[in-house]
Amino acid sequence: MAPEDPVTVSPPPPPPPPTPSLKTKIARRFVKSLAEVWTSRKLATEGGVRKRARRIKIAAYSSMARAVGGSRRAWSRALLAKLQGRAKRRCHLRSQRCLGLKRKRAGSRNMVRNEVSGSDKLRRLVPGGKAMDLCNLLEETSHFVQCLATQVKVMQSIADRYSV
Amino acid sequence: MDNEFVMPWQSLSSGMAAQPADLNCASKQSPDCFFIPNWDDSSTDQGGRFESALSSIVSSPPAPCSYISNQSVLIRELIGKLGSIGNSGEASPHSLALSGNAAATVMPYIGGSNGTNTSCYSTPLNSPPKVNFTTVDRVVKERFSSVAGFTADPGFAERAARFSCFGSRSFNGRTSQFSPNSGELPYKPNPLMESRKFQRVSSSPSLKALGSQAAATVQQNVNSGLSDRMELTNSNEESSVSEQIPRGENGLKASNEANSRKRKAAAKGKAKESAPSTPVANAMKVPESNDNPSPKRCKPNEGDENGNGTAKGEDDAKGNSTKNDAKPPEPPKDYIHVRARRGQATDSHSLAERVRREKISERMKLLQDLVPGCNKVTGKALMLDEIINYVQSLQRQVEFLSMKLSSVNTPLDFNADALMSKDMFQPNNSVPCPMFPLDSSATAFHGHNRPQSQPLPPPLQGHGPSGTATQVDQLNLGPCHNVESHLPHLNDLQYQNFCGDDLHSIVQMGFGQNSNQETAFQHQAFHG
Repeated sequence: MAPEDPVTVSPPPPPPPPTPSLKTKIARRFVKSLAEVWTSRKLATEGGVRKRARRIKIAAYSSMARAVGGSRRAWSRALLAKLQGRAKRRCHLRSQRCLGLKRKRAGSRNMVRNEVSGSDKLRRLVPGGKAMDLCNLLEETSHFVQCLATQVKVMQSIADRYSV
Repeated sequence: MDNEFVMPWQSLSSGMAAQPADLNCASKQSPDCFFIPNWDDSSTDQGGRFESALSSIVSSPPAPCSYISNQSVLIRELIGKLGSIGNSGEASPHSLALSGNAAATVMPYIGGSNGTNTSCYSTPLNSPPKVNFTTVDRVVKERFSSVAGFTADPGFAERAARFSCFGSRSFNGRTSQFSPNSGELPYKPNPLMESRKFQRVSSSPSLKALGSQAAATVQQNVNSGLSDRMELTNSNEESSVSEQIPRGENGLKASNEANSRKRKAAAKGKAKESAPSTPVANAMKVPESNDNPSPKRCKPNEGDENGNGTAKGEDDAKGNSTKNDAKPPEPPKDYIHVRARRGQATDSHSLAERVRREKISERMKLLQDLVPGCNKVTGKALMLDEIINYVQSLQRQVEFLSMKLSSVNTPLDFNADALMSKDMFQPNNSVPCPMFPLDSSATAFHGHNRPQSQPLPPPLQGHGPSGTATQVDQLNLGPCHNVESHLPHLNDLQYQNFCGDDLHSIVQMGFGQNSNQETAFQHQAFHG
């Protein structure tokens, strides 16, 4: 401040946002996990895009679920449970290598697809939607859509910044 | 004097010829001359009941005409009660026709008889109100608790005329009229507010024992100043009392007893007995989209406690207000009081169905605001499809963006905090454009996504088969990125993985947006 240097005047640090909005919360968590993925040497070397993409996707969903306060919403609870379950299952599968199980499930899913109705589709899309009545399902959907849109915005802005 | 009164009555109703004459000779202020007990008998036909009622009124000797207008108002109220009783189904169904007849015959007469004749009505209705109530059936009492208020208001005539068919609705007006004991009081929303305030005050947990309907009516009566619902005192006293909020408590106790008694008698279909303060709270709830005086059938299905339904002018005296749809936070008391609308089924099942449907439609409206492009869509099925499509597109975007982010190598100057701050302060962060309107979004973002000041990310390694791939990648990312549509982006990544050289040549061929897109699609077709 005292020595005036026109060339290297450092701009004042931007003030933090007044209230932690949903977007801020999501962005904070996501950026953290993204940094983890980016700096993890293990992921960078092996596998390549797909593994990292999956990890980033998981990070996105978990940051979204946690930003709303993990257990406050039914969908966030179900989402976190699903992610944790998948992580455990992935470990088990890797150790046991029973890929046949996966294929069977996919097949059965294809057969039933034609008969599902609109609300059933929605139930499958929204985490935790299977065990709700239509009224709560719609409420959870609206909240879920809101958070999902915010998450996409955050990811988009980050992608814009780092990929020319 | 009796003759004066008898004659006009007789001229009114043809069927009433015999009885009025007989009753005229009967005791004047007999407690049972009030026609309510006659209703309970319902041994006679509708006409008989009405006749007896009218005759009882007529037979009473002319009293000092201190409450001239009250009487006509009272009569109208009674008639309204008749109608409400009949409609509610608790009283005999005849009363419905009765009310119709009564209204048809008496109303015009009352309107014309605001003069001396009204005095004849005052006595039976005014003087022995207490006695009348004690003799009234429990069910009827529940409906006609407002009768107690008859004595109070000279302005009743007007309101009774307005709400001739709504027994419960008139309660509100009456209670409001009580406090300002002036002459013809037109229907004012402000007094109603007062009464509603009273209701609010008295809607305390102590009311839990009250039934839904009874509680509200009683409460109103209490609020209007009746210390005891069963007791009618001077109207002036009532009005003065009505101003006092603490009276609510007295009334509560009184109403508790009365209501408990009533509720046993008037057990409605659902478990409304357990409806604690909800009926009271419901009394204050806004009747659903209803200001018009359509006869509402109170169907206390379940109590939904909501203390803020006071916006609307009229509230059901019986305490059942329709569920307020605009109340997302469901209170702990999970009873919802619903009022059936005019011309709709009053079955408890259908009411619950309607409540559920309204909730669903309300949520669908919220979703409509969230999902872009849903304004034109009407209907649940189409809306659901739109919502599903939108959610699927959002999930696809997340997947794509995560892939994109994974393909971005760690930038050299990656700073989490700086990224965050810049994130927040970007004026228009790219809106997640759905997959559908590709062209519009592409053009919109073309200017926005010019290459950033950030240096190009270091050449992607391990993706392209050859060194040229990296150059191609960078080149590709530039123009294609500006398009900001996701399909080409996806293709970009795939190009990087599969076809570096081809891409290079194709990219060099055309750098415009459209050509890029076209080449991208063509390439996709080739290598998809």
